[in-house]
Amino acid sequence: MDINRRDFLQIAAALGILGATGGANLFAGEAGKERIKNLSFSDLMAFEPKGKATLLHICDMHAHIKPLYWREPSTLISAKNLVGTPGFICGKTFEEFYGIAPGSLDEYFDTYINFETLARKFGKMGGIAHMKPIIDHVKKERGEKNVLLLDSGDTWQGTAVALKTRGEAIVDAQNYLGVDVMVGHWEFTYGKERVQELIGMLKGDFISQNVVDNDPFSDTFEELIFPPYTIKEVGGAKIGIIGQSFPFTSTANPKRFTEGWSFGLRHESLQEYVDTLRKEKKVDCVVVLSHDGFSVDQELAKKVKGVDFILSGHTHDPSPKPIVVNDTVILIAGSHGKFVGRLDLDIQNKKVVDYSFKLIPVASNIIPADKAGEALVEKWYKPYNKELNEVLGTTKGVLYKRDTFYSTFDALIGQAIQDEMKSDIVFTPGYRWGTTLLPGDKILKDNVYEMTAITYPEVYTFDLKGSVIANLMEDIADNVFNANPLLQQGGDMSRLTGASYSIKIDAPSGKRISDFKIGGKLLDPKKTYRVSSWGGNLQNAGENLDEKHIRPVYDIVSDYIRKKGVIDISNQSNVKVLDFDCGCPKKGATC
Amino acid sequence: MKRRNFLKNLCAVSALATVATPSMVMGKDAPKQKPKGVNAMSYDSALNAITGGKPVADSPKVSLTVPEIAENGAVVPVKVNVDHPMEENNYVKAIHILTTKNGNARAADVMLTPMNGKGYFATRIKLGSTQDVVAVVELSDGTFIKASKSVKVTIGGCG
Repeated sequence: MDINRRDFLQIAAALGILGATGGANLFAGEAGKERIKNLSFSDLMAFEPKGKATLLHICDMHAHIKPLYWREPSTLISAKNLVGTPGFICGKTFEEFYGIAPGSLDEYFDTYINFETLARKFGKMGGIAHMKPIIDHVKKERGEKNVLLLDSGDTWQGTAVALKTRGEAIVDAQNYLGVDVMVGHWEFTYGKERVQELIGMLKGDFISQNVVDNDPFSDTFEELIFPPYTIKEVGGAKIGIIGQSFPFTSTANPKRFTEGWSFGLRHESLQEYVDTLRKEKKVDCVVVLSHDGFSVDQELAKKVKGVDFILSGHTHDPSPKPIVVNDTVILIAGSHGKFVGRLDLDIQNKKVVDYSFKLIPVASNIIPADKAGEALVEKWYKPYNKELNEVLGTTKGVLYKRDTFYSTFDALIGQAIQDEMKSDIVFTPGYRWGTTLLPGDKILKDNVYEMTAITYPEVYTFDLKGSVIANLMEDIADNVFNANPLLQQGGDMSRLTGASYSIKIDAPSGKRISDFKIGGKLLDPKKTYRVSSWGGNLQNAGENLDEKHIRPVYDIVSDYIRKKGVIDISNQSNVKVLDFDCGCPKKGATC
Repeated sequence: MKRRNFLKNLCAVSALATVATPSMVMGKDAPKQKPKGVNAMSYDSALNAITGGKPVADSPKVSLTVPEIAENGAVVPVKVNVDHPMEENNYVKAIHILTTKNGNARAADVMLTPMNGKGYFATRIKLGSTQDVVAVVELSDGTFIKASKSVKVTIGGCG
């Protein structure tokens, strides 16, 4: 394996001298600004090229066409056999695994450590106007025809402009970036018809071998909905790209959006397509463009033979180094437009003989904005600027999303719902997308949408028996903590407001949660509780739904912030983990 | 016959085959309401009724295709393909689909003859909870082979 470690040490050397000088803040004051200025675009782009073909990879942008702050998790816990391995690794453990220097740009992009300090030094991440110069630079270096841009999906959903234009603004952004091939997950929440319309607008291909017609009385029963693969000539080589959309779309999101379509991992048919590409189509390289999730793809690589590269997505992991399982190399490029992955391929005699890889951080203060990109963003925001730029309030502490159990932005959402609905307990989904606000930041309406912009935003309030709540939590816990990655769904635990509990991750399914309290009192299995929830399907299990009071979550949260003015959310989690002593355990489940 | 028409016909058969399976709805208190009646049958007694107590070995000849996680527990697609000849005196005689935790463990029984041409059957079954699906195959010489796989039934949640 030949990760370009030198490149990334170069950047660390340029920036990460904090550790070496005993923690002195080299970025303070005017001298510090000068030092940041010295880190140039070409430092970020430094790369040891290989062969003639290049694949650029993006995943899980969640419609963030503008730069944002994005804090990685300080708690990322899973089953004991999985923690500390790629996909379940954070903080110091991440730094040790990947060799990240303290105080470096990489620390800022890859971990939560020193987040607020580094955010003020390095500024926002991502944004299409800053991604484009990276793509252009690589195309100029390698030749336009020798570069492909592949998108692992979760691109069309996640911001107000995406929701209000029903995905069109984001497809426009993809066309601007030059996306050649994509797969999907949240894309499907616009509904089947809209998905097909948007694919019509996309200049690239939408492929998936694992989405099939599921209506036994249809003439196309069990036939594919999308082309399963595409073959591209790049750098003189024939590259076969097979699509994997999110296998659990119909359980993770409302079924109504994809009624009549069936998903699933479908590794048996994937193997058939790999064999077809190799034996019949005589490709030189097989790539799976995937939204399975990083850990699921590591399992997939054990089941399917003959795949050279899996370009993964869904679980939002930044992985500065490739992960090799059997003969398959697995890559993933973080989330929210924070990175563009560059993979160079040296293909000789119809085989990949060498490659090099790097995650290029989209550091908006270091990469000058492309004017056309800024104009595109401005064009799509213009009709909504008045609404989206409304200052709802300010936050005292950092508001973030990612964490296995608890996050401050979710706690704010839960508080807002509980305040309005007077419910005993509020469920907020454990999605991994959203935004981050720094202490003292204004909270704009746009930021509330960044946490909640979905096509099914309704907050439902209904009755659930204590025993049902307990079973639901165990069911959700098993989706998050199952020791078999194939039985996980790649999200975090649902967040609770008005409740607290202890959890033993390693306990058998159905027996993980204890000391479950609602309103400070132990959960009574026979008692009926008033529950509010959004973004899931819990309401289907409930009774006495309050049909007169169903409002979109973004309206409820906006009203609450306006009312409060200053938001002050505790960093204290309401979940106690019994079998781990830290949030970022190492391999072997030690701290 | 086109493959999809072939499958369609099989589905029509399967609708009859699964009609006795008790319906269970996740999320409510359904798992507690165990069906009591003529259709209630445990996995062990169902297996015994099929094999008459003969041994059943796991075999790579039986390929059982089920989803890792059910998209909808009420209609879980199950495919069984038996890699075995379909000749006059050597053929797949029956394919049985069983579940380990449903109130009635017996989901489908399909009798075949060499005229079927292939030891293949596809259907959809209901699963009340996370459990194993087992395909038990009877060969014309009176021996039994099987394959089993776990299917997770969840109400979902994460995104």
